[in-house]
Amino acid sequence: MAGLATTFGSGAMTNSINEIENAQVMLVIGSNTSEAHPQVARRIFSAMDRGARLIVIDPRRTLMAGRADIHLAIRPGTDIPLLNAMMRIILDENLADDLFIEMRTENFYGLRDMLFRIDLDETARITGVDLARIRAAAQLYGRAQKAVICYCLGITQHVCGTANVQAIANLAMLTGHVEKEDTGVDPLRGQNNVQGACDMGALPNVFPSYQQVDIDDFREKFERAWNVSLPVQPGLTLMEMTHGGKNGPLRAMFIMGENPMLSDPGIATVGETLDNLEFLLVADIFLTETAARAHVVLPAASFAEKTGTFTNSERRVQMVRRVIPPLGQSRTDADIIMELSSRLGYAMDYESPAEIMEEIAMLAPIYGGMQHDRLENSWGLQWPCWDRGHPGTPFLHKYYFTRGKGRFIPAVHEPPAELPDDDYPFLLITGRIYHQYHTGTMSRRSPLLSREAGEALLQLHPDDGRRLGVRSGDVVRMRSRRGEVQVKAQLTDVVKAGEVYTTFHFSEMPVNVLTISARDHFSQCPEYKICAVHLAKVCDP
Amino acid sequence: MTDKYILKKDHLLPLLRKLKKNHRLIAPLRNRHGDTLFTEIDQLDDVRLDLANQPQNSLKQFFFPQQEVLFTYRNPGPDSYHFEPAAGESPPSLYFGVRPCDLSAVLYMDVVFLKNARDPHYLHRRRNSILVGLNCNGPFANCFCNATRNGPFVDFGFDLQLTDLGDRFLVELDRSRGQEIISAWRQFFAAADDKDVKAQYQAFLEARGKFSLQVHLDLAARRLADDQVSESVWHELSMRCQDCGGCAYICPTCTCFSIRDRQTSESGGERIRNWDACTFSGFTRMAGDHNPVDRQMRGIEKRFRHKLQFDMKKDNRPSCVGCGRCVNICFGGTDIVRFINMTCCENT
Amino acid sequence: MTMPSPDKDLYRPRPAEIREVIVENSQIKTFVLAFADREYNASFTYQPGQFMMVSVPHCGEAPISISSTPAKSGTIHLSVRRAGRLTAALHDMRQGDAVGLRGPYGRPFPMTDLLGRDLLFVAGGIGLAPLRSVINTCLAAGHDRRITILYGSRTPADIAFKGDLATWGQTAGVSCLLTVDRTEPGWAGEVGLVTGLFARCALDPDETTALVCGPPMMIRAVLAQLAERGVADGNIITTMERHMSCGVGICRHCHMDEKLVCQDGPVFTLAELKQLKVMELQG
Repeated sequence: MAGLATTFGSGAMTNSINEIENAQVMLVIGSNTSEAHPQVARRIFSAMDRGARLIVIDPRRTLMAGRADIHLAIRPGTDIPLLNAMMRIILDENLADDLFIEMRTENFYGLRDMLFRIDLDETARITGVDLARIRAAAQLYGRAQKAVICYCLGITQHVCGTANVQAIANLAMLTGHVEKEDTGVDPLRGQNNVQGACDMGALPNVFPSYQQVDIDDFREKFERAWNVSLPVQPGLTLMEMTHGGKNGPLRAMFIMGENPMLSDPGIATVGETLDNLEFLLVADIFLTETAARAHVVLPAASFAEKTGTFTNSERRVQMVRRVIPPLGQSRTDADIIMELSSRLGYAMDYESPAEIMEEIAMLAPIYGGMQHDRLENSWGLQWPCWDRGHPGTPFLHKYYFTRGKGRFIPAVHEPPAELPDDDYPFLLITGRIYHQYHTGTMSRRSPLLSREAGEALLQLHPDDGRRLGVRSGDVVRMRSRRGEVQVKAQLTDVVKAGEVYTTFHFSEMPVNVLTISARDHFSQCPEYKICAVHLAKVCDP
Repeated sequence: MTDKYILKKDHLLPLLRKLKKNHRLIAPLRNRHGDTLFTEIDQLDDVRLDLANQPQNSLKQFFFPQQEVLFTYRNPGPDSYHFEPAAGESPPSLYFGVRPCDLSAVLYMDVVFLKNARDPHYLHRRRNSILVGLNCNGPFANCFCNATRNGPFVDFGFDLQLTDLGDRFLVELDRSRGQEIISAWRQFFAAADDKDVKAQYQAFLEARGKFSLQVHLDLAARRLADDQVSESVWHELSMRCQDCGGCAYICPTCTCFSIRDRQTSESGGERIRNWDACTFSGFTRMAGDHNPVDRQMRGIEKRFRHKLQFDMKKDNRPSCVGCGRCVNICFGGTDIVRFINMTCCENT
Repeated sequence: MTMPSPDKDLYRPRPAEIREVIVENSQIKTFVLAFADREYNASFTYQPGQFMMVSVPHCGEAPISISSTPAKSGTIHLSVRRAGRLTAALHDMRQGDAVGLRGPYGRPFPMTDLLGRDLLFVAGGIGLAPLRSVINTCLAAGHDRRITILYGSRTPADIAFKGDLATWGQTAGVSCLLTVDRTEPGWAGEVGLVTGLFARCALDPDETTALVCGPPMMIRAVLAQLAERGVADGNIITTMERHMSCGVGICRHCHMDEKLVCQDGPVFTLAELKQLKVMELQG
């Protein structure tokens, strides 16, 4: 979010998902697209059917990487040196889009000066990728007329997550690969409505439509609309809220549809924080690990029991409609919020989700023309959609960036917070698998999905397996400076020697007791992707 | 011409109204979101019967529900374990507007569920069913029933079969229940004459010329039988398959299922059967993680071989009815038409 | 539509009682079962090589091959290796507990074809279970030709069916040889793969029918050995194991090319299997 917002002025996919099908070169970085975003992977495959080339930057040989024309298997956490090297090669080989840089961007010289100081051989050493391959990737991307970059949590869940994104934005602007159809920078969202939550101001520093709380005009607009006075200071980030420990800043929390007791790094600290709250209220459709600790749990309605909208990765706002009335005592999220608010003394009396959407359209300019009647019986509208006559926006930054000119923000390498050493010799990467969704609150209740993937597996290189005396199916004890879990090993050369990979979906193997709570300085997104662990085979009982 | 009749289009709804008195009526209806689905008709006057579009579902779910209780069990103590038949009766049901692909699929399901052993749940529903078909005057974009040889017109398997002749339907009979309907509601049916039969033949010829896909199913089947499909085809398709199971679920002839227990109380539960797909790795994985199928490289092979090779060998016809639904639903691009094309384009 | 009357209870098991639990080794137990319905139990019969679908409360159902001989009526033996959720739950059950049974299903061993033939049984681990049924049936019928039994286990402690092995060892006309992969103190017998025992037995390839059952690795090694000895594919018989849901040829989990293991098997000759692509036979 923060990375693209500072460079382009808007933190969302610049393209529509369908446009990817028409790209000539796709650069996929930090995204296991076929498992996490199959609908995007499908477009990438279709593009390849038409002859498009695929570059994948990923430490693991994922299915996408296996299909790529060029796979750069980087050392985790060295994205910035790699991207900078690609940019340097693009400059050296005259593949930069000078006109685009001149007309549409600023601070190019800041970037150029930094790039000219790079030692390319040094980059190859840091990233563990052969320079010739980096060069081939840079040439392929630089020469394309239509090129998209897709990135995901492998970019953002690092201490340098924001800078990683800025480096990606720099690469795209340097080659003029933004502003056009079928060309752009596309962060893939993790869940069906993350984009919508951000759009609606579920961030500490903005109101809906990214209107900053500390800008008077914006704040006053919302104060007038809601007839209350609103705080000037931005709120707390997720990590500040859930990692305060005994002396945390909060006395009470209301958690909706989130399961930090499994999904947040350093679970022990999260538990301590929640246990020290005076009051914890959780609304969820099932009794999650987090809900089990709450003082009060409100049963929430599922997607099939409510009407409203979801906003997906491509900024598309789509209607969902109630199929069945909420089961048992469950209530929709909107009902819960309205009722709570009313009981707390601020009456909210929206008659319907449509009325709420009307208010959103009034207060959130990018949703300005989106009322339920327009979304009904259509595939939805893509923001920005300024008024009722506006058709929506398939791709962003046409003619000008949201912030005016695109700004090059040179990014410098920042090593991961914790790297393997003699005591913790393996680098642990965490991620997702196809058959399970997030903390498994929903997907683990499906017997079929659980049959397909019912337990966590630790991917371990066969060479490492041999050295540790571990075979596929053996249980290993995995220990970091923060905790310990046991997990079944799966020997595979999908991972490199020295690196291991597992998922966080399974509460029996809460891998986030191991992960580090170090986080990005700007977005506060934690570094889930890298920590150092020690492995040992668990002896037969 | 005693076995062919004319039903005026104006008389269709009145006839359905009569039939609804004694039958559950299932027909393609267009819902308020614009989707056409085989749906049970609640109120004849409130619905939009849609005979112009292909229903998104087939009849599979009505004969073989996505999930059903086979029986219930009680286990009040370790030494007591009892099994009781599940309740659930299927009322006499009339399926209206069934196109040749979906009709053929029901005939195929008859083989699956009744040949090796007689599945009582399926048999019960099938016995209580009347199939009123509708020949296809215009195939849809993904249709290839000409290649699977069960369309666009059929002449057996139905109770009654309609052909749209503009302002009227030509009505044909095959099974005895069709005759019962004609006899019971004689006032709706006039004898067809020579002109009507010729018009039907003309409609048939026209329909045959309207297929937009060219699917060389016979060639693909022969290459499969001769073991001439190269490994790279299976690998390419398996890599692209997104493992969603959509093809099997939407397919009118995919009938693989799994059986499991669902505990409903401390001392009892239900044994449930639900749809499964042979493309899932758990489909063949045995206890102890041993899997006789290499899912990564050949996950999708079994499905195509079953439809185009094994069933061909046994029954001399593919167990694909050319409805094209998988073409629409597959988001990995690994549908059967793609497989057939890849196989046929190979230089072997 | 005219159709035969439905098998109303196709999927519905009958309650059965565990009469006895025999611990074969740390992983295998033999459950001696009888149907609760005495009349049905008395009339129940089966053939060697067939399997039962076994229900365990809340765990569903699994196919288990019958390890007893129909020559001894009144009970059915099911020998079960602890492998998954259902078998683990079954292992926790005790004498007097109830399970559900339906069956028998599957194509049995061709018992009449075995008459007048030398019989070579080769088994590894739990693979002896279905062969035990054949051996005891043959012995009960007074098989008048040579019977050779080769049995491999992982360790001496893993040797299952010890009672039967001892009996067979003392039966005239039967030679019964054991081997283990890994030795333990106190073991004076053979060490090594079961194929190592072939050197110790005379084998007339034209007169012998071989019945082979065990893990895929073992099967492949034994088949190579038998081919070397000149035993024809049609005289080599094995049983296949596949995931199954229905057991009656409908659910299609046990597809092996155009064959269904539950209907066309689980007993196959090698000649039949070679017409198919079978993972166990491929290296």
